[in-house]
Amino acid sequence: MTATTIPTLKTDRLILRAPTQADFAPFAEFYASERSHFVGGPLSAELSWRMLAMEVGHWSLTGYGRWIVEEAETGAAVGLVGLFNPHGWPEPEIGWDLFTGFEGKGYATEAALAARAYAYDILGWDTAISLVKDGNDASAAVALRMGAKADGDYTHERHGHMFIYRHPAASELADGGMEAYA
Amino acid sequence: MSTVHIPVIETHRLVMRGPEAEDYPNFKATFSSYRSRFMGGPLNAYESWMLYAAEIGHWQIRGYGMWMIHDKLTDKTLGMAGGWFPAKWPEKELAWIIWPEVAGKGIALEATHALRDYFYTQRGWETAVSYIDPKNLTSIKLAERLGAVKDKDAATIDGSDAVYRHPSPERLKSGQLRDAIEMEIRSYTDPIFGKPKEVQT
Repeated sequence: MTATTIPTLKTDRLILRAPTQADFAPFAEFYASERSHFVGGPLSAELSWRMLAMEVGHWSLTGYGRWIVEEAETGAAVGLVGLFNPHGWPEPEIGWDLFTGFEGKGYATEAALAARAYAYDILGWDTAISLVKDGNDASAAVALRMGAKADGDYTHERHGHMFIYRHPAASELADGGMEAYA
Repeated sequence: MSTVHIPVIETHRLVMRGPEAEDYPNFKATFSSYRSRFMGGPLNAYESWMLYAAEIGHWQIRGYGMWMIHDKLTDKTLGMAGGWFPAKWPEKELAWIIWPEVAGKGIALEATHALRDYFYTQRGWETAVSYIDPKNLTSIKLAERLGAVKDKDAATIDGSDAVYRHPSPERLKSGQLRDAIEMEIRSYTDPIFGKPKEVQT
């Protein structure tokens, strides 16, 4: 099979790494919770497992994907952040889901900046979007903190209506780099 | 992460390899068709992509999964078969799906027989089941040709499926059952050998 090795990224407080079976418990807990209704949930345990497997397979099919974000100090899995582009997605997306209890620490922004730097610097993307459901203010705030701007909307057959936030282009970030927004 | 090595398994007519990105269009063609109604389909493009990604991810997470079945001569894909064990599955399952246009040629029988042997002899499986929709008569027939019998006491996935339990590794080591399966496979692979009467086409 296509041997895509999922890289590990490090930030000040976080480690972005490949999902494993050990992540299933927090992952399923998140997808069973109301918090997941902005990202296609709630899902049964079986569908959550398939989602986790899908996240891994995404890397093989596209060469990139989402990482499990781990708190460096504790090793706790705090969320799922990275690059998402399943069949039928409007454009490659930078996405972030924080598991319950890890909100309000700036983890989504910190991890998403690392994911965007990976997309721009390693994969050579020129642009990226993030999709945010109506009412998901916390997620919209992350997009804005990263310097992304509202850029229309998009309706997906399963996920419904979402707002598009467009990130600054790679060339716009070249001067200050991601640090300009950190 | 370390990438799981997926063994290549060959039989008389088939070569089975891990699912690749380039095989996705064939997978999507089947899963967007009515044929996939017993396997959770038909799916739209987004859902079928997500499921295909999950097929690949299953290998990485569990260390085994579903192989893509190829015709040894033409390399065309014919379907998928292997082990399937998502969360909430009561037991490890042997599963198969054959593309509609190549059904009726004993491909699922040949593939699943070889993969069951692989799981029993190489991976230490001591038993295996197949969860089958009671209306999926083709699959039930195949399970029976493989020597599986309905296990009324075994846990189902959600009550809507029947559980077929495969013969044990011990029972498959030799003897009448293995001979019968291999004789039927030979009837497909070697036309001169002839076709047993009971085989459906």
